[in-house]
Amino acid sequence: MTLSPVDYVILTLYFAFVIGIGWKLRKSATSASDFLTAGHHVPVWITSLAFLAANLGAQEVVGMAASGAKYGIMTAHFYWIGAVPAMLFIGVFMMPFYYGSKARSVPEYLKMRFDEKTRGLNAITFAIMTLFSSGISMYALAKMFNLVLGWNFNNSILLSGAIVLAYTYLGGLTSAIYNEVLQFFLIVLGFSPLAILSVMRAGGWSGIQQRLPEVMTHTWKYVGHANENPMGVEVFGLVAGLGFVLSFGYWCTDFLVVQRAMAADSMSAARRTPLLAAFPKMLMPFIVILPGIAALALTKMGSGYALPPKGASYDYDQALTTLMAQFYPSGLLGVGLTALMASFMSGMAGNVTAFNTVFTYDIYQGYIKPNAPDSHYLKVGRLTTIVGILLSIATAYLAAQFNDIMDFLQLVFGFVNAPLFATFLLGMFWKRATGHGAFAGLLSGTTAAALVHGLTEAEGKGAWIANLHVFPSQMAQNFWIAIFAWSTCFVVTILVSLATAPHAEDRLRGLVYGLTELPSEEGVPWFKRPLPLAMVVIVALVFLNLIFL
Amino acid sequence: MLDLRVPSGTFFGIVGLILIAVSFTNPHAPMTDGNVDLYTGLAMLVFGGFLLLLAMRSRRA
Repeated sequence: MTLSPVDYVILTLYFAFVIGIGWKLRKSATSASDFLTAGHHVPVWITSLAFLAANLGAQEVVGMAASGAKYGIMTAHFYWIGAVPAMLFIGVFMMPFYYGSKARSVPEYLKMRFDEKTRGLNAITFAIMTLFSSGISMYALAKMFNLVLGWNFNNSILLSGAIVLAYTYLGGLTSAIYNEVLQFFLIVLGFSPLAILSVMRAGGWSGIQQRLPEVMTHTWKYVGHANENPMGVEVFGLVAGLGFVLSFGYWCTDFLVVQRAMAADSMSAARRTPLLAAFPKMLMPFIVILPGIAALALTKMGSGYALPPKGASYDYDQALTTLMAQFYPSGLLGVGLTALMASFMSGMAGNVTAFNTVFTYDIYQGYIKPNAPDSHYLKVGRLTTIVGILLSIATAYLAAQFNDIMDFLQLVFGFVNAPLFATFLLGMFWKRATGHGAFAGLLSGTTAAALVHGLTEAEGKGAWIANLHVFPSQMAQNFWIAIFAWSTCFVVTILVSLATAPHAEDRLRGLVYGLTELPSEEGVPWFKRPLPLAMVVIVALVFLNLIFL
Repeated sequence: MLDLRVPSGTFFGIVGLILIAVSFTNPHAPMTDGNVDLYTGLAMLVFGGFLLLLAMRSRRA
């Protein structure tokens, strides 16, 4: 793929706007709380779109097109059951406690609700994981630009790191959030032409249905048994593992996304943030997954486009970029590549700003230097931005050198994250849950995850203790690891809580259901109330699933 | 506080104009027949204009 001057003009223009927005917002980052938490003054339409975009990294955009080509429309489960229900749950049920507690971060909520050790465990693991995921996506991006455009690996990393640094250093979280919205628009406008053009060329949805096996164009029809579908998952593992444990664990507890909602200007806006975000989230499969499915159909019909081969199969990861090369003229090609760059930057800035807040408030202020003046934490926050980006860059090079270590770390991160939602669920809705219970639950949940991985095998991975069971796919194994981890954490937290002294009720006010005054909704129009909004989302969601049943 | 609709609208307006400008001379992409740059350029121009219009209206109010 070769770029022409106009493509570079568009890319450069985008960089100029991104930094310009950071520059304009520099005055809104004059205190630590403005810099790190956006001072609770961001309008709700902006927090909603940022809530989506922070999660919409380049790996996701490229990966979803790849999964579309590999698994078909079943990939939409990652959105329709793997995200939307959890987004409704946090908006309707959990946000009153997050926002109402006045905590500045998710780990800080854990400290208020449980105790210091539970917060420390969450803060430290979260800080390490965000840095690594930022570095890993940086590596993936540089590798892709190297492969597709022949760009120098080092230059891609340094340039993208420098731009993200410039706008997050200038305007802090506000700047990151504002830019995420611009990035979201760009991703939608830059990739939807590809979906439209490629699907039209493949003969529309009915043309695709004719050319591909039925299993590729149905979401639910073939999940009764794992050997019926290419994902190798069955309905319980899918719904309980992906739709409940993994999805709620991410969307309801990951500070990267929760931070966006907490930046909203009121409790009502914070609750509506994930609910409003659910509407575009539901439609994202049509932009990011459909091109992948169309790519496979085009390959089968001998249209002149073919997925690049890899061994006996295809190199699915190249679906998106090879489609762009075939369908985008110069000009639009520049927009498409800028959109890829944008999705990468929104993911990276999301990680960096979340890391910043957790490091400054939960680790630095918590354990290194409490009781310093605000201006000191502002300085630390800014410095952490620089250090965070440098560490991400270091991680990117580490990933380039030691692929196996990265795979291993991502596996371990999965073990750490899997039980989290049980802790938050019990913490928010059962006032008897104690700090000792939560801490023991998290540790035993992570241990359970590691044990299941050690005792089962999938695609040759796992079973490093003994081989008791073979899963049809790694995806199925992941779902079941999550189910075991969550259940273990849930049970152990309850048992240990009952055996330890309860927290005083006074201390739990505003943090737990039953001891928190829920905001009154009298006189508020229905479209500004969480429950009716969630109902509308559910109706639309059911409708989508029925169409692609 | 910055009204985000202003820079976003300006950005997509400019990109739309660039795409429209190059659309008349650009060769088509291998797999498409229509003038894709022109259509997407127009769409972006309309979207950018819409954002700017919203921003202007709220400023007046």
